[in-house]
Amino acid sequence: MAEPHRPLPTALIMPGNVRGGQVISLVEITGSIGGKVDAPKLADEMGADIAVLLPVLDAAEMLGLVRTEKGDVHLTELGLKFQKTSKNKLKMLKDRIAGIEPFRTALELASKGRPITASQVADSLNEIGLKWHYQPEMNESLIRTLLIHWAIYAGLLRYDGKSGKFQKA
Amino acid sequence: MKGKTALSERQVEVAAGTVVVTVDHVNLDYHKEKEPLPVLTDVSLTAVKDQLVAITGPSGCGKSTLLRIISGLVKPTSGRVRVLDSEVKGPRDDISIVFQNFVLLPWRTALENVLFGLSSRKDLTDEQKNRKAESALEIAGLQGFESVYPGELSGGMKQRVGVARALAGDPRVMLLDEPFSSLDDLTAERLRREMHTLLISPQTSVQSVILVSHNVEEIIELADKVIVLSSRPAHVVGELKVDLPRPRNKKSDEFFQWVDRVYSLLS
Repeated sequence: MAEPHRPLPTALIMPGNVRGGQVISLVEITGSIGGKVDAPKLADEMGADIAVLLPVLDAAEMLGLVRTEKGDVHLTELGLKFQKTSKNKLKMLKDRIAGIEPFRTALELASKGRPITASQVADSLNEIGLKWHYQPEMNESLIRTLLIHWAIYAGLLRYDGKSGKFQKA
Repeated sequence: MKGKTALSERQVEVAAGTVVVTVDHVNLDYHKEKEPLPVLTDVSLTAVKDQLVAITGPSGCGKSTLLRIISGLVKPTSGRVRVLDSEVKGPRDDISIVFQNFVLLPWRTALENVLFGLSSRKDLTDEQKNRKAESALEIAGLQGFESVYPGELSGGMKQRVGVARALAGDPRVMLLDEPFSSLDDLTAERLRREMHTLLISPQTSVQSVILVSHNVEEIIELADKVIVLSSRPAHVVGELKVDLPRPRNKKSDEFFQWVDRVYSLLS
């Protein structure tokens, strides 16, 4: 008998093209202009196209750093703390990042003690219909990049480039 | 008159014993069909302790060539460069340079790329080299990325590996050649904000930083002193001490006034 499918994700999903550094810049720039700004002006201040800004904004909102209201971007209380800390900012968000895909699944797989590959994470997410790209190779590559750029910075995972495997930090 | 003022300021710096880098009446000529083609004419400047000096000028004026002379990679036709008390006669361990392009070896991990910069150090054991490389990666904000290959890193992270490689050798002078120009705006903005505190901090051995850039806003954001060069043959047309408090507000009127001052010297 086939294993029952895991419930479809109502999960938070990190956009494949967003990096931690972009979220940090967004929060720092919003903070430097008073903590409230409309999205087109924010894009202008960041020297970014609005199409580039929107997924970064989604990620920042998902992490609880900003909220958007009628086109305005507001820093939350956490966003203000995040802006002011000079320490590793993404480590501050460790728990929140751990709840977002593909990090949630990667951590779940890695918690079994064995090093895991991006391909295993992709397969597991595929089972619940979660993909970042329709081509399997690109999907795996995007997941690997997300894990490297977020989960290592946040101190959730370690990565060995020689074997291409991740381990719980 | 301007020259006299600059000279007297320099004399004060020398007397205070804080001068780290001295570029002293440097000239550089290339030769075209045996005719000398002057590139740099009588360039002098100093960088004192804990100072970030920016060199700017029109495209192709010889800014990067001047940086290579300071690093010892290019020999001037006349004049000399000193770091603290000794003359620079060739590349040396206490001067590091970060280039515009990342110049990383793609088949080596981040740690191995940093270690590569220490490969000529006979005074260090392998263990010491490893410790230095790991510590430099940590200072550059790449703790946890030791085993990652350059192809898996973003542009900003690759440039951080370049900074870590430059820091690992405990340089006293750090030279930056347009280090942000290959990066996207967002990444460049973030790295720029960190760079001054990252380099001039008790965590590093760096005593002075010399930055070459054509981006005037970047220069005013980072520099304690700005040297403006003319078009070729380049000579110094202005030397400005930027006394804006840090962190600098790029939206303030004072910031724009400083940007204007540099532009007026460039035009």
